[in-house]
Amino acid sequence: MKKLLAGAAIALAALASSAQADGHATYPERPIMLMVSYGAGGATDFQARIVTMTAGNDDALGMPVAIINKPGAGGRVGWNWLATAADADGYTLGAYNIPHFIAQSIQGGVEYSADSFEPIANWGADPAVFVVAADSEFNSMADVIDWAKANPGKLTFSGAGLFVGHHIAALQIEKAAGVKMAYIPNKSGGSGAMKAVIAGEVMAGVNNLSDAFRAREAGTIKILGVADLERNSFMEDVPTMREQGLDVDNASVNFRGVMVPKGTPQAIIDKLAETVPAMFANRRVAGKMKAGGSPMHIMTRDEVLEMWAAREVTLKDLLAGL
Amino acid sequence: MEFLYYFDDVFTLWAFGMLLLGTIFGLILGATPGLSPTMAVALAIPFTFKMEPAHGLILLGALYTSTVAGGAVSAILLKIPGAPANIATTLDGHAMARNGDGKRALQLSFLASLFGGVAGVLLLIFATPILAKWALVFGPSESFWIAILGVTVIGTLGSNSVIKGLLAGCIGLWISTIGFDDILGTQRFIFHSSLAGGINIIPALIGLFAIPQVISMFAKGRTRDDLEVLSIKPHPLRKAITEVGRRTRALGIGTSVGAIIGLIPGVGGQIAGLVAYDQTRNFSPDREKFGTGHSEGIIAAESANNSMVGPSLVPLLTLSIPGSPTAAVLLGGLIIHGIFPGPNIFRDYPEVVWPFINSMLIGQILMCVFGLMIAGLAANVARVPRAVMAAVVLALAVFGSYSVQLSMDDVFVMLILGAGMYFLARYGYSAAPLVLGLILGPIAEGNFVEGAMIAAAQNGVLPYFFTGTLNLVLIAIVLGSIVYSVWLELKNRNQGRAL
Amino acid sequence: MHRFQHAIPAGLIAFVGLWVCFVSYTQTPAAAFAFPRLISTVFVVLALWTFFKVLRDGAAQDGGFNRQEIVNIAPGLALAVVYVFWGANFFGFYTGTALAFFILLTWYDPADHRQLRSWVMRAIITAGFIAVMYCLFALILNVYTPREIWS
Repeated sequence: MKKLLAGAAIALAALASSAQADGHATYPERPIMLMVSYGAGGATDFQARIVTMTAGNDDALGMPVAIINKPGAGGRVGWNWLATAADADGYTLGAYNIPHFIAQSIQGGVEYSADSFEPIANWGADPAVFVVAADSEFNSMADVIDWAKANPGKLTFSGAGLFVGHHIAALQIEKAAGVKMAYIPNKSGGSGAMKAVIAGEVMAGVNNLSDAFRAREAGTIKILGVADLERNSFMEDVPTMREQGLDVDNASVNFRGVMVPKGTPQAIIDKLAETVPAMFANRRVAGKMKAGGSPMHIMTRDEVLEMWAAREVTLKDLLAGL
Repeated sequence: MEFLYYFDDVFTLWAFGMLLLGTIFGLILGATPGLSPTMAVALAIPFTFKMEPAHGLILLGALYTSTVAGGAVSAILLKIPGAPANIATTLDGHAMARNGDGKRALQLSFLASLFGGVAGVLLLIFATPILAKWALVFGPSESFWIAILGVTVIGTLGSNSVIKGLLAGCIGLWISTIGFDDILGTQRFIFHSSLAGGINIIPALIGLFAIPQVISMFAKGRTRDDLEVLSIKPHPLRKAITEVGRRTRALGIGTSVGAIIGLIPGVGGQIAGLVAYDQTRNFSPDREKFGTGHSEGIIAAESANNSMVGPSLVPLLTLSIPGSPTAAVLLGGLIIHGIFPGPNIFRDYPEVVWPFINSMLIGQILMCVFGLMIAGLAANVARVPRAVMAAVVLALAVFGSYSVQLSMDDVFVMLILGAGMYFLARYGYSAAPLVLGLILGPIAEGNFVEGAMIAAAQNGVLPYFFTGTLNLVLIAIVLGSIVYSVWLELKNRNQGRAL
Repeated sequence: MHRFQHAIPAGLIAFVGLWVCFVSYTQTPAAAFAFPRLISTVFVVLALWTFFKVLRDGAAQDGGFNRQEIVNIAPGLALAVVYVFWGANFFGFYTGTALAFFILLTWYDPADHRQLRSWVMRAIITAGFIAVMYCLFALILNVYTPREIWS
């Protein structure tokens, strides 16, 4: 009996050490966790669940990805956790939202910055759009700006929070038009901000293109402009801000992707950076994303690194005046 | 009557199988402390990816309804609410179980759930266009007053001292502010790194209710007397049906309050049961029997909990606005199949929406049948020795609070809050008002801040919160509740003196 | 004795209330602390009222502990604290739970500890419970524990 036990113990120990010895060649050996810093059912959570649904396939990671939600304070709770408390062992990934976490790190009061994380790949780009209720008197950005000029500080418009993409777009619109409006951050995020527009609690709102697309299909809102460089394929009829004379670039576009905490072994980062973009490009993933009205935009690790650096410069400049 | 046309879609092999699966799992998950309806539905979403849209939705809908009802099981037998919605059920349900009538309490609760649930789904079927307009009427100011209405309940909830009840409520409100401020992102009261993520409501709920139960089982020590947790007397179903049938006031108030509050996006589900419980008590001649195992208390709370499910889907289906975290997850389940909710959803996707709604109707009946079977088994649960029960509940509390967001910090918070609550409870402070404060804090604060910002850009804060018919009606109810409570308190005190 | 016992929780709550109030009125930005200021003010008033009421007529209060109860609670509570703050992480989630479960069961089981039968019984209950938990959380719900079963 004793011999048997000892034998079993040695076998177990051998098993454990062999896994240690060959480094990260066999990564991943167990399911991977993807932290989403917004609640279940939100746009980021929803898209993260779609783009990781094929992770268990042999041509992808070969292991399933489980989504863990750590919502709170516009994403700060989750990203703080990822930067300070998460294991940098390659089994803990995080979803990022640009410009949100960079803008928050510039604002201060959080324990992360762009240097706390290593990007893996980008899956989506969701531009901010300017929306009004379906029965609103506003039909173009010009109408909105004219009203705001006549009533300074009185035009209320909602968005998902402070120092998130919607807020950046709001700041850019105000700056470009040279008017003061009343931006109302919503506690329940994008869906709450959309509800405020539909219910007439506010006069207008900034929201995600994907959510606005669905709301427009449902006939509850009008979309007046896209805060991006080009028109979007989901809504070719909606002009960009620049076409309507407002100098607003794509700094507020909500890029969503996957990152890992700093300190994750380079071999694992390389392996992920190689596999994950291909996983996003899967035909089934693309089909589900399109069906859900979520614009895809796949970028590799190098492209994302470049985009992060560029955003940091733009945002520092934009937020300096606050 | 279009929905009748799609009824046989529920009875295909796959659809009915999903319905059964969802109902049974939902009851089990709902009865497990820490597994909230939101979590149950979110966990099932990946499985629905590969199913037909209607089948996937049937599974999610069945899970939603039955987890809400299943939460009553642990609320009644163990005084541990499965989800915030079941807090009100603990007050009279557990008291009744203590008196040996656990089976009766479970039967009443499932029958009331069935009544409320069916009424709620019927409202969803017939009144959706009217209800959709109603859901939008509740803006920041109205939601703020609803939260304040909840606060007025605090003082009278489960405490024999109003002051201690209010004090517990204040502690709850304060705990809700720990962590990052949601709008400005400022850190508040984070005196230990475990609190950086704020206090999550589910682990707090488990801690505040489950841990005091565990410790009070410890307190009895290694004695043989009253070895079992509860004794459960048999109770024929027939009697329970007649009893529910006679309690028309509790059923009526519970169902209607649940349906109205369930409709309000962002406020609904969690406080529907508590407000219904309080209003039923206000209108009942047996006011002083509440909290001692009175059947009206159970019936009001559980009919409200389930009547809220149907209306809470109205803003989701017609306006694409998820009114609760659970509804937000359901929205994901719709979108993933390319179904965009909106005013025309019944015209565009009848083959998906009607089977889904019909299945919720059938699901209520299945839920009640299985629930009553569980009630039959309750006697066995109650026969578990105290030592085993203490260990089981402690382990479940740890697993349940850990699994909410895979965080040990939540488990630490759970244990500390729970142990603290046990000692406070021994000195007359109770858990129910504390949890209510915890739930209402963010609702009251968020809506006040948002309303104040809108008001500042328009006419000013006072007119924003104090004009408008609905605001005035809600203020009147709030004032009425307070005045009525004070009057009763004074009356009781005078009577006490006269004796 | 009774008077003293009731003053402890009331005093602690009053102390927390004062601290919350102090923090709310001194921290910035003021906008983020508007709501905490409001509730902490009510909190302090109620807490001080209760505290002085307890000091005045403490003996009339109900509730409180006796020595035997504290002796009964202490080991269980101590075990729960060790399990949550150290054991679950040190032994692995499931092993830690199994150990805590078995020790709790043994400690509070009124059965005669000299009988082998009661030990076997408790071991079976523990194994069965852990198996159910493992199936529910690890297999069905896919909950990843910080450290796996044995390691």
